[in-house]
Amino acid sequence: MVERFRATAMFPLLAAVMLFGVFVLGGLTYQAIIGGGAAERLITIMLIDAIVVLGIQIYVGNTGVLSFGHIGFGAIAGYTFGILAIAPLEKEKRVPDAPFGLTDVHLSTWLAVVIAVGVTVIAAFVIGLGLARSGAESGAVAATVITLALLFVTHEVARNWPELTGGDRAGLSFRIGGNLDTRAPIYLMLFVAIVVATFFAKSRSGRLAVAAREDNLAARAMGINPLVQQMIALLISVAVVSVGASLRVYQDGSILPDDFFFNYTLLTIVMLVVGGRNSVTGAVLGVAVMTAGREFSRRLGQDDFEVFGIGLDGAPLDWIFRENLQTVFLGLSMLGFMLWRPKGILDDWELGDWMRRRFGPKNDVQPDLAESVTSDDDLVLVASDVDLFFGGFQALAGAGIEARGDEVVGIIGPNGAGKTTLVNVITGMAEQTSGRVVLGDTDLSTSEPFEIARAGLVRTFQNLRLFGALTVRENTEVSTLVAARHRTERAHPSVDQLVVAAGLWDHRDRRASELDYGNSRRLELARAAGMSPSFLLLDEPTSGMSDSESLEMVEQVRTMADLVGAGVVVIDHDLNFITGICDRIYCLDRGRVIAAGTPAEIQANPQVQAAYLGTG
Amino acid sequence: MLEASGLTTKYGAIAALRNASVHVGAGEVIGLIGPNGAGKTTLLNTIAGLLAPVSGSVLLDGADVTGHPPERLLRSGLALVPEHRRIFTDLTVEENLKIGGVTVSSTDRAVLLDEMKEQFPVLAEKWTTAAGYLSGGEAQQLAIARALMSKPRLLMMDEPSLGLAPVLVDVVFGLIESLREQGRTLLVVEQNAERMLAVADRAYVLRSGAVVAEGTGAELRVRDDLFDTFVGGDS
Amino acid sequence: MTELLQNLIDGLGRGSIYALLALGVAVVFGVMHLLNFAHGEMITVAGYVAFWTIGTNDWSWWLVVPLIVLSAIATSLVIERIAFSRVRGASDFTLLLTSFGVHFVVSAIFLLYVSASVKTFPRPTWVANTYSVRSLNIEVFDTVVIGVTLVTLIATTLLLQRTMFGLSLRAAAADFDTARLMGVKSDSVIRGAFALSGLLAGIAGVFWLMRAGSTTPTAGIDPMLKGVLAALIGGLGSLRGAVIGGFALGLAEVLLRSRLPDSVASLTEGVVFLLIALLFIFRPQGLITVAHAERV
Repeated sequence: MVERFRATAMFPLLAAVMLFGVFVLGGLTYQAIIGGGAAERLITIMLIDAIVVLGIQIYVGNTGVLSFGHIGFGAIAGYTFGILAIAPLEKEKRVPDAPFGLTDVHLSTWLAVVIAVGVTVIAAFVIGLGLARSGAESGAVAATVITLALLFVTHEVARNWPELTGGDRAGLSFRIGGNLDTRAPIYLMLFVAIVVATFFAKSRSGRLAVAAREDNLAARAMGINPLVQQMIALLISVAVVSVGASLRVYQDGSILPDDFFFNYTLLTIVMLVVGGRNSVTGAVLGVAVMTAGREFSRRLGQDDFEVFGIGLDGAPLDWIFRENLQTVFLGLSMLGFMLWRPKGILDDWELGDWMRRRFGPKNDVQPDLAESVTSDDDLVLVASDVDLFFGGFQALAGAGIEARGDEVVGIIGPNGAGKTTLVNVITGMAEQTSGRVVLGDTDLSTSEPFEIARAGLVRTFQNLRLFGALTVRENTEVSTLVAARHRTERAHPSVDQLVVAAGLWDHRDRRASELDYGNSRRLELARAAGMSPSFLLLDEPTSGMSDSESLEMVEQVRTMADLVGAGVVVIDHDLNFITGICDRIYCLDRGRVIAAGTPAEIQANPQVQAAYLGTG
Repeated sequence: MLEASGLTTKYGAIAALRNASVHVGAGEVIGLIGPNGAGKTTLLNTIAGLLAPVSGSVLLDGADVTGHPPERLLRSGLALVPEHRRIFTDLTVEENLKIGGVTVSSTDRAVLLDEMKEQFPVLAEKWTTAAGYLSGGEAQQLAIARALMSKPRLLMMDEPSLGLAPVLVDVVFGLIESLREQGRTLLVVEQNAERMLAVADRAYVLRSGAVVAEGTGAELRVRDDLFDTFVGGDS
Repeated sequence: MTELLQNLIDGLGRGSIYALLALGVAVVFGVMHLLNFAHGEMITVAGYVAFWTIGTNDWSWWLVVPLIVLSAIATSLVIERIAFSRVRGASDFTLLLTSFGVHFVVSAIFLLYVSASVKTFPRPTWVANTYSVRSLNIEVFDTVVIGVTLVTLIATTLLLQRTMFGLSLRAAAADFDTARLMGVKSDSVIRGAFALSGLLAGIAGVFWLMRAGSTTPTAGIDPMLKGVLAALIGGLGSLRGAVIGGFALGLAEVLLRSRLPDSVASLTEGVVFLLIALLFIFRPQGLITVAHAERV
């Protein structure tokens, strides 16, 4: 128990406490030095901004989808909070005709916050459905536009529904016993936000979301449903933002449509990207840096301000210039960081991770290899009569294969024969025009790639698809996390055992993007094996390797398949490799199977020779 | 014609190419062979301007063209048929060829289009078909024809036989042979060492990002230390 | 029936402007994979050109129209040069935020050197004129907009299909590196795309400003949003889709505005956004699917 805490939770928690402490103390120090109500207010706002920015980080950092909509969610929360918390007497003046009898509602402040969070999270769930679908289909760009649209919807509604919101000019104001008179709830919520953001990134959901951020297709091939993980990230993220937004409304004592619109979006996004969007530490740092910079540029516009001899005192500048220095500063920061340091100051550096590497228990005992798992020789994979048309071109014409759980089956054929397309159909990545894919008793013909992976068919890719920013261990861990939940009937080798079996132990803490070609291939195999699959489907694992490397690959594939007890279906055009490893071979040509049999039979088959070997 | 010397290219922290030098004379057919990950493609892409070398220089007929962008190198007479062919699948065969001739005058382009029609009857048949519907062999021919449209003085090819069935590999090497007979200067990266040595005047062997040997086919075949480069081959 | 026809014509007029904006967005997206949130800045700049010439110096609209178009093209090119040329090939995230940053910097410039207040200039007199065909009331303005848009779209199609520049643009959109290997100059094709995008935004901007008669530092947001949304509705990456998306968005707005009950009519924009969100739930790839011939 203690051991586990030390290994997983201790350092992140310690880092969260330190981060919180340094951030708050820094603010209080500034407040003490400068003094006065303005400085106090500045720090209060900074603390609240930090909550909002951390909320955004949970979604943007872990999913990699840029959202402009979180401030729109903030608006929903802010208005919900306002309309519920303001005293009926006050509402009588501002919004006498509020719908649903809201004018008469009188709730305690804290109940109002809870309901505001609830309402916003429900809204986020609905938006999230569209976001996830379009994001999966047309990429992150489409999702970003939808979040932007959301920002505009909330703003439009806030402006044009004065019965509820008090409209564009009057807005909603508070007279509920004044503004926040203590910072205690802000401190509390800020600490909670840091902890939530830190631990979400470490959680199963967070890890799977990050995997999907790095490579969506590969994540789905590893049994991850990115839509679910992104939704979880979105809901948690929006909940945190909602709390921040409610606190802000409470603190301001009023809410207007423009409070939660473009400018606040710009501010929070700039804070996030300047610090480093992939890091909680970065998000907090960004808030501090941008608050300081903004305050500096604001003070620069004042007549009596001077620091190190820099000041605009007496300079012949228009007052407009001074008024808008802050906006200019924000715009230029955004542009400057995007042009010269797009990943922010810290990129994905995390205080907790650094402390663990520096002071944590060392994990350098190479584990023994796990016992091999007996493969399931009764389990049969059958793909039959598969047709597939791309436009007018028939890529598959009644193709099909059969493989037993203890076999190694090869698919060969000339280029364009439809080998990869067939594997794409089997793994759900291409939709067949007709034909069936059945594993044991389960019909997978219309299943999603991640469902197929969970059922036990796990593939690799011809062009490598690793999670580049994750280390070798983390890459492998992703699939073992999925396996632990969805492949429960199987024995699982540990992450380290897989890494050792792949011969990558010396590279275990390197990022996948830094591996050379051969090691990348080995890692892809280890990651696939981490799913404890019934079948490994390998698409050209020796693509572009020399013959000696191909022979090594034969061994590698055997080791891995034995380790997890998986059958193998392998595409390759390297005959040495295929004949060296396969029990049976299918030969495809123009989308149909023209021969099947043992390697010797295939090599002797005249049709194969004519189509493939060119010696017929 | 081409004098590349001391080229070093890095991907992040990893040096994919280390101090590699290659010389190609006018009218020569030169092979670049070696196992995967040896840096052959990196070398070609560096010469073609797709990657920037950390050090080293590329001279074309004595003029320093190091670090020039590909579009400029093409105008200096250096064309590359990229790995995986990279044809424009949404454009027709004719449009693909026209793009290949974007640097020549419109009259020259018309003449070249006719020449390609003649030289590649397979393509002439599918002139107005979207290139995505071509088979692998046809696509490879299109990729080569497209590069020829720029009237290159030096034509570089990256793994022209990759992913092709042996029948089509024959077609591709036949094409290389006929380009050689036309007196063209070629620099070809090939996995298939045996076949390459058979058509090349000389070849360079790369391993782990460095040039480890250079010579004619006869000279290289007897080198025991290069054994694993040739093991299996296509013999 | 008459009402529907009336809506149709109004919607086409509105949609024409959106289609021009969306096409500009799509052209740039094609070559750079950049969804340009600064696409409206061309119109912001053009608005101040109109204000300085027509609004303060009483120039004639006829003189100013070419100026507006030229200023839009120039703005597009300058933005490309200063900002986007430095982030070519960067991640979606970086590209999106760069354009977002450009938007803020441009509006900050006008905030600094002009002011936040609304600057007005007179609309051309004929904008409000209408003529009748049977029972239909048709705006002269809509007729001109639809006519000019059709001509522009045909000209753009010819440019893309028949010229080497158009071919280079399409090749670069499909595979930028390979296009460069073929000798397509990345600078000229990207600048060409931005110039074309600026030209289209300029033409749209003329109509936009004729209708609005005013500008502010943030006036570009609205046209940008319409253009980006229309491009997205049509299916990002498809030029044809962008045009269709523009018309669809225009028609949807007009139809909703005239059909929604009065109490919610002011929320039309909100409803349109909701419809778009629904569209993406049920058809996440947009209206038009770009059919790629598969490379096997």
